[in-house]
Amino acid sequence: MKSTLKLFRRFFLVLIISIILLFILNIILFIAITYNQIGNASPWKNAEIIAKNLTQTNDGIFKLSNEGKKILNQSEAWAILIDNDSGKVKWNSDNLPKEIPMQYSLADLSWAIRGYIEDYPTTTSEYGDDLLILGNPKTSFWKAMWNTFDYNMIANFPKTVLLFIIFNLIIIFIIYMVSISGVLRSVKPIVTGIEALPDGQNIYVKEKGLLSSLAVSLNRTSEKLRSQEYKLKKRETARANWIAGVSHDIRTPLSIVMGYASQMEENKSLPQEERKKAGVIRLQSIRIKNLINDLNLSSKLEYNSQPINKTLINAVSLMRGIVVDFLNMDPENLYPIIWDTDECLTSCMIKADANLLKRAISNLIINAQVHNPEGCIITAKISEEKDMCCFTISDNGQGVTEEQLDSIRNSPHYMVCDSNAGEQRHGLGLLIVKQITIAHGGTVEINHSPEGGFMVSILLPLDQG
Amino acid sequence: MNLDYIKDKKILLVDDEPELLDMVANILKEEGYQKLKTANTVNEALSICKEWKPDFAVLDVMLPDGDGFSLLKQIRAFSDIPVLFLTARGEDEDKFQGLGMGADDYIVKPFLPKELILRIGIILRRCYKNDQPLIRLASCELDFDKAEVIKNEEHIPLTAKEYEILQALYRNAGKIVTIDMLCQAAWGDNPYGYENSLMAHIRRIREKIEENPSKPVSLITIKGLGYKLIVEG
Repeated sequence: MKSTLKLFRRFFLVLIISIILLFILNIILFIAITYNQIGNASPWKNAEIIAKNLTQTNDGIFKLSNEGKKILNQSEAWAILIDNDSGKVKWNSDNLPKEIPMQYSLADLSWAIRGYIEDYPTTTSEYGDDLLILGNPKTSFWKAMWNTFDYNMIANFPKTVLLFIIFNLIIIFIIYMVSISGVLRSVKPIVTGIEALPDGQNIYVKEKGLLSSLAVSLNRTSEKLRSQEYKLKKRETARANWIAGVSHDIRTPLSIVMGYASQMEENKSLPQEERKKAGVIRLQSIRIKNLINDLNLSSKLEYNSQPINKTLINAVSLMRGIVVDFLNMDPENLYPIIWDTDECLTSCMIKADANLLKRAISNLIINAQVHNPEGCIITAKISEEKDMCCFTISDNGQGVTEEQLDSIRNSPHYMVCDSNAGEQRHGLGLLIVKQITIAHGGTVEINHSPEGGFMVSILLPLDQG
Repeated sequence: MNLDYIKDKKILLVDDEPELLDMVANILKEEGYQKLKTANTVNEALSICKEWKPDFAVLDVMLPDGDGFSLLKQIRAFSDIPVLFLTARGEDEDKFQGLGMGADDYIVKPFLPKELILRIGIILRRCYKNDQPLIRLASCELDFDKAEVIKNEEHIPLTAKEYEILQALYRNAGKIVTIDMLCQAAWGDNPYGYENSLMAHIRRIREKIEENPSKPVSLITIKGLGYKLIVEG
């Protein structure tokens, strides 16, 4: 809903800004237009000009200058000069209409000044003690004849203006709310729907209202996503189940093979040669066992169906436990393991799935054993490097060539390769180590060991808590 | 090793695969276990449990007329015998379910006979430790019943911590026991451990059980990893 609110706020801001802008622009336009009008024709000014241009000769005859006449012509107005004492017209312009009276009482004058003479709007100017009246064309002006204002009204003008503005803003806000709430109502479910899409939730938006077509396509998108996800999951589950099923069914027969092979290997009444063969059967059975275990886990890790239960564990204890398990299972001491960890490092806390991590490290030790059937010395080490916990398993066995090392580091494994092309690696041990390490946010480093064998380090982030 | 008393225990093996039952029985017989019975189904197993009263049972999880978990539940209704699950299902949830229901251990197939024998031995020694006679070490005898060491006819008492540590070592006699497991046995769960205290206790145990504590022959240090108790056969 956050985004809807943001949209709403933004809309409102834009609206307010546009209203203010509109207001200012209107004032500017108004001023521009009225300024021009005032400049062109001010009838009061004309009356004054006429008064200035009217002169009286010594023998009492009035004369309007050419400039005065020009103004009268331009504005199509007429003019009269009324005597202060008698109220008679002392002078009039040549174009005086016939209906204009030549004698004015005081009452007539008050009417004439305030308003009209025979519907001609008038403007006035003084001429000595006398009065000059300019009669403008009938349709040229409109005069406000009752222009009195209450004093209180003038005094309260700023307040009134403010009140008007506020009132208008409230009205605009209400109009906005009413109109936007309709839009919001129809946008809201769609926004909620789109926000829920990435979480893989099943969404359904009612297909009506303003944006019904959007809702329809949103529903169809969700449906499509769901069905795709379902199909993908079904296929992945089928694959993982198949692998789990096969590995399950192999376990019991393999137990019998391993059991009898072991017995024969230790049966002192059998010839040495036969006991050796039984030993080979046992070793190869163990390889199959490791393979099916790895295949199962690897497919689960690849399809994310392996839950990862991280807890706070001491890496030193974990590694020690694994090393001891291997030593205890190897009474002939064919693969001695040297514990090469700094004695001062008694704890190294990490957040990890103990079972999975145990599996990864066991795989490294099994790898060293499987690739060195004649036996080798394995070194196990834990160290803290910066903010990483580093588990290292190295051996002094046959090792690998540079080319092999490069291939182990870079070629994709057949389990995770989606093309048939290229040289693909086999053997699942290291793949699982990588998968488990990545699931824990760590990295795997593969190298030659200083003793000339093989060396793998798992680096996991230390717990910062 | 003077552990023969556990070989007298009655063991019931339950699995739907007769071949596997034969093999496991064979392995256990070779190891010296004499009192064995096998069952293929839940019903058979239950009736043997009631009549024969075994001391220990090895159960498969998948059986033709039910599963090992429910079989264990039914056995628990009348018996507290230790149980080890032997199964082809390697899922962690199954493991937790099995152990959560009071099974003593869990082995996923395929397994090596050595591993099975080792684990059965550990369980039997733990569960029937009161039956155990004196344990003979190179230069003394251990009596867990009385929590004492008998050296040169002298009875030396063990402290509680020493007793716990020696018990943990004895349960895994001949095998390395990690520092962490020993700390856990003596002090319970603590990720930071008590390594220095453990070393002090080991020194005192050696003074009690070794002829020459600075050159131990019964309680051996495996550098950086843990300790091993050597029991005389």
